[in-house]
Amino acid sequence: MLLALLAIGPLVLPEFYVTLLNYIGLYALVALGLVLLTGVGGLTSFGQAAFVGLGAYTTGYLTTAEELPAVLSWFAVSPWLTLVAGLLVTLAVAGVLGLLTLRLSGHYLPLGTLAWGMSLYFLFGNVSFLGGHTGMTGIPPLSLFGFELRDGRHLYYLIWLILLAAVWMTQNLLDSREGRAIRALKGGGIMAEAMGVDTARSRMIIFLVAAAFAAISGWLYAHMQRFVNPTPFSLHIGIEYLFMAVIGGAGYVWGALVGAGLITVLKQWLQDLLPRVFGASGNFEIIVFGLLMIFVFHRARDGIWPLLARAVPIKRPARAVPTGEPLARRERPPPGTTLLEVKDAVKKFGGLVANNKMSLEVRAGEILALIGPNGAGKSTLFNLVTGVDPPTSGEVSFLGERVDGCCSREIARRGMSRTFQHVRLLPAMSVLENVAIGAHQRGSAGVAAAAVHGERGEEARLLAEAARQIERVGLTEYMFDAAGSLALGQQRIVEIARALSSDPSLLLLDEPAAGLRYLEKETLADLLRKLRDEGMGILLVEHDMDFVMGLADRVVVMEFGEKIAEGLPEQVQCNPAVIEAYLGGVD
Amino acid sequence: MDLQIALLLAQDGVVNGAIYALLALALVLVFAVTRVIFIPQGEFVAFGALTLASFQTAKVPGTLWLLIGMGAVISIIELAAASRRRGGRRRLTLALGWNLAYPAVLAAIVLLAKPGQWPLAVQVVLAMALVVPLGPMIYRLVYQPLASASVLVLLIVSVAVHLALVGLGLLFFGAEGSRTPAFSEASFSLGDVTVTGQTLWVIGASLLLIVGLYIFFERSLWGKALRATAINRVGAQLMGISTTQAGKLCFLLAAAIGAMSGILVAPITTIYYDTGFLVGLKGFVAAIVGGMISYPLAAAGAILVGLLESFSSFWASAFKEVIVFTMIIPVLLWRSMTTRHVEEEEE
Amino acid sequence: MNKKLKPLVGCVIMALAGTSQADINVGVTLSATGPAASLGIPEKNTFALMPTSIGGQKINYIVLDDASDTTSAVKNTRKLITENQVDVVVGSTITPNSLAMIDVAAEAETPMISMAASARIVDMANPKVKWVFKTPQNDVQMSTAIVEHMLNNKIQTVAFIGFSDAYGEGWYQEFAKIAEARKLKIVANERYNRADTSVTGQALKIISTKPDAVLVAGSGTPAALPQKTLKEKGYKGAFYQTHGVANMDFLRVCGKDCEGTFLPAGPVLVAGQLPDSNPIKKVAMDYTTKYEAAHGKGTTSTFGAHAWDAGILLQNAIPVALKKAQPGSKEFRAALRDALEGLKNVTVSHGIVNMSAQDHLGFDQRARVMVEIKDGGWKLVQ
Repeated sequence: MLLALLAIGPLVLPEFYVTLLNYIGLYALVALGLVLLTGVGGLTSFGQAAFVGLGAYTTGYLTTAEELPAVLSWFAVSPWLTLVAGLLVTLAVAGVLGLLTLRLSGHYLPLGTLAWGMSLYFLFGNVSFLGGHTGMTGIPPLSLFGFELRDGRHLYYLIWLILLAAVWMTQNLLDSREGRAIRALKGGGIMAEAMGVDTARSRMIIFLVAAAFAAISGWLYAHMQRFVNPTPFSLHIGIEYLFMAVIGGAGYVWGALVGAGLITVLKQWLQDLLPRVFGASGNFEIIVFGLLMIFVFHRARDGIWPLLARAVPIKRPARAVPTGEPLARRERPPPGTTLLEVKDAVKKFGGLVANNKMSLEVRAGEILALIGPNGAGKSTLFNLVTGVDPPTSGEVSFLGERVDGCCSREIARRGMSRTFQHVRLLPAMSVLENVAIGAHQRGSAGVAAAAVHGERGEEARLLAEAARQIERVGLTEYMFDAAGSLALGQQRIVEIARALSSDPSLLLLDEPAAGLRYLEKETLADLLRKLRDEGMGILLVEHDMDFVMGLADRVVVMEFGEKIAEGLPEQVQCNPAVIEAYLGGVD
Repeated sequence: MDLQIALLLAQDGVVNGAIYALLALALVLVFAVTRVIFIPQGEFVAFGALTLASFQTAKVPGTLWLLIGMGAVISIIELAAASRRRGGRRRLTLALGWNLAYPAVLAAIVLLAKPGQWPLAVQVVLAMALVVPLGPMIYRLVYQPLASASVLVLLIVSVAVHLALVGLGLLFFGAEGSRTPAFSEASFSLGDVTVTGQTLWVIGASLLLIVGLYIFFERSLWGKALRATAINRVGAQLMGISTTQAGKLCFLLAAAIGAMSGILVAPITTIYYDTGFLVGLKGFVAAIVGGMISYPLAAAGAILVGLLESFSSFWASAFKEVIVFTMIIPVLLWRSMTTRHVEEEEE
Repeated sequence: MNKKLKPLVGCVIMALAGTSQADINVGVTLSATGPAASLGIPEKNTFALMPTSIGGQKINYIVLDDASDTTSAVKNTRKLITENQVDVVVGSTITPNSLAMIDVAAEAETPMISMAASARIVDMANPKVKWVFKTPQNDVQMSTAIVEHMLNNKIQTVAFIGFSDAYGEGWYQEFAKIAEARKLKIVANERYNRADTSVTGQALKIISTKPDAVLVAGSGTPAALPQKTLKEKGYKGAFYQTHGVANMDFLRVCGKDCEGTFLPAGPVLVAGQLPDSNPIKKVAMDYTTKYEAAHGKGTTSTFGAHAWDAGILLQNAIPVALKKAQPGSKEFRAALRDALEGLKNVTVSHGIVNMSAQDHLGFDQRARVMVEIKDGGWKLVQ
């Protein structure tokens, strides 16, 4: 219905509203990139306006320059080719900038974007063949099959077609394997790496997509305005794009449209209204605009879209448990094979020796429990094994290959999967999607396929696998609930399901029983026994003695970063060193 | 370029760097305590300087009306809040005193007396008295209701505050700039290089402020409370340090530092209603070089930015900003590699 | 998906703000905020002083702010043309904005009068410029005046320092062209930002090239900083400023450091010192009196006068056009364009206008005078 409204809009609306809608479309396209980059991916960029500028300047230069170098001249044939050129230039520049600045962490990243945003702006202004500060005139209008899109009403269809296509592709992308990886970037980077996600690649993807959206917007802008100069690509405008994305609702695709629409319309409205209120002499627009924005954030700090979405309940699609062909499984090492071998691992933090000459071995088809008092260095060892921190010295081997110094993504790929002591789920995502992140490395469909939803077959299989693991751990009834709404104990179980969906040969569990009730512990123990019997190796860090002693095949005890005992559960329980460590000195 | 020019450029860079350093300190302080990236920091520079300039041209500074207006709004909010709960009369009296009585007293002084004829030092104090309370007032009105919002939302709200304040600045002071008389007309010769009294004032006052802040944070109870809040907000709250009080206090300090910076540089440059943004931006760059945490590194970053700026404006003035901001990227990379990044703190 | 309705809601609200059709609508977009605010504000104030009827027709001025931003300038122009159905667009304050507006005005066949400096705005090589007129003197004219004055004063080398924006850039291009032709050597070409707090680097660079004179191309109070810095660093040569500085605030900020500075300007700046025989004097004094009556003594600026001159052009052209067609029609806009192009011997506050199909500015030598800053005021150089 609304699509129809959009389609007939230009036929019935006065011309200026069409013009406004055109601008809204252009802004929304850039804001959409920011939703992906900042709202979803957590990478704040002040520099999007510079990418808009690259798109606009590329086409501006190619379509107006009187003499072009031969290499470039074939681009000038049609503005549609200059779009390709603009995208190429922007992606190349964004690629280089991304390599440089996406490595920046925390607050360094926004400043990095600010730095190149400023630099590009001043470059536009100081390069004479780009028209300098004064600008470039005479950019031709776009044409389609010989028909010139000179009129705003014609351009309108092109702009909104592109925008809706971009929205559709962004939504598709977010609802896919790559999309889950992208959504994990904000607040789940370590977890995602441990599940085999290349987070640096995901960051680059959204950076390039956002830059491409900006460049397309710039290309449209240049042919709509038919004039380019540096001011529309300045830092101020870059900040305004961010403003639009955040006020619309930075985490929501439709928020980009709402934000761009709200700000554009509000500014127009203030421009009409305020002179009637205050008289024509002052300039109150910007003041009132600023105050209104503050007011909006006081009422809706997540932006406008969540409010709208709540006011107009959208019918959710029926939630059927996903089904699909099972995914290929990795070859199981026969029971008894040494999976993990840690030899003389040492980890020092400055002067503190957290692990000293730790050695242990986990075989296929056994449960090894690692116990020890608080601060004994169990979690440090866990991090060494899983590649979160490299050991200071010593060796870690997995299936006979050295993995110390490897990154956790690589280790995950080889068939080791883990849970975290402090639950690392993405609370706003459903249990199903959280678990599906575990299966990330078992799929291969890329961004392009995801954007047009050409990977639905693989996606169904991934989700089906996730659903199977959820069923296996007994949380089917919560499958579609937000992960953050579950009790803490259940969240730990979700983590196990997530680890299982990566089809591991070795499962590392960091205090899985904490927060579980007695019956739930029993169920968990049964599950772990079953996994062991299927040939999986399990390394378990746990505090709960009863749980460990009833479950583990062997036990390793740590204290002060060193191994003090190793053996069968009943042997370890009688070991005087262990008793002393747990109960304090008994004289 | 000979030695004399290099020395003069270095002097220029250090003077500008000193101002950036002050702003960087204020930004670090505000961010550490409240997680607000305080973009309007620069506006206090302009407001401080232009308020002082208004006295000298015998005009009533618009900041007075802003102070009265914001005070009135806060008073209404506090009254409404007080009517909803019992007790807290002392708190209400205090709030009304600061938000109604204090602006009224200042209004009486500014409107009835002729501050333009007073000694410069008194004018400076009066300008500070007008501008500095705007800091905590902005905190009360804008940021206190948003104390738990994400860093991104707080950043965008700061942009909105910046827009409103720049608009007000244009309304109050007009588009043209102003200068104020120097604190000291003296100038000294060091070999070939002349150093004016005002540059010494800028550097000296900056150093004093930095040392003062250090003592404040290390020795005073309030300073320690702020530091505690910066390190662990919840913990500080449990220890009875109110987040709100800490927020107001650091906005007060930030406003004071901003206004003082403006008053210090107004004699050596022209200040416009929108000067603040660019100056604040450079302070922001310096603050980030310091990782938004470290005060000495932020100050070092500020001097670095100042020097980069003055030397690049000598070599290739058209590309000055390009050079400054491009040179920042390697520094950022280096800082990013050498600081351990704790993901959990990101929102 | 009801967010798509949002713009529509806004549109409905805007629709309530429509204007009546019978009157003549003059649409104005100018830079009352943003970097060019010091130019745009006096222009905006000037429109409030303009006559509310011309040739018996009521005139509506619809004044919009474009915040010194090209996108807004174009958006405003489209709004004025399609929404307010204006008969003529006046604006914008700065060159990039005006250049960007040309396409929109020409396509809607609406005459446009720019208040920006660059000669490119009325470069007749572009057929669209048929619809475009302007009131400020071209940079070229002003540059020629400066070069001549320099040569007459035995200046051989000159350093240039200008805004790093379209103003500084336009000035450098024109000035360099004429200087080269007249064998005046430019030894330094420096840029600074309007809001920069220090230009020490540029000043030292200029001093190291030992020029006979320095030309500062900036507008309003920001143009004072390079001159003050150069003086402070011991530069002793001559100073030239552009007509962009011609307001009282510049004198206030620059103070004694600007004594003896030369600049070219429109005659309106020194209206009182013009001989009574000069027809410009009366028009210029009329504007100054009206403006100062509204905004206080010493507040006139030459920028406001550009707006005033646009008003005078309209007052002369509209009665001619009214004979041919009714306001609000395509024919009226075409007639108004023809009438503007046909204006002859119209005295405005900046000079005397003789338009033609080849010249949409129409100024001659009478449109500029050299002015010296003396005793904190503007002094006409005879």
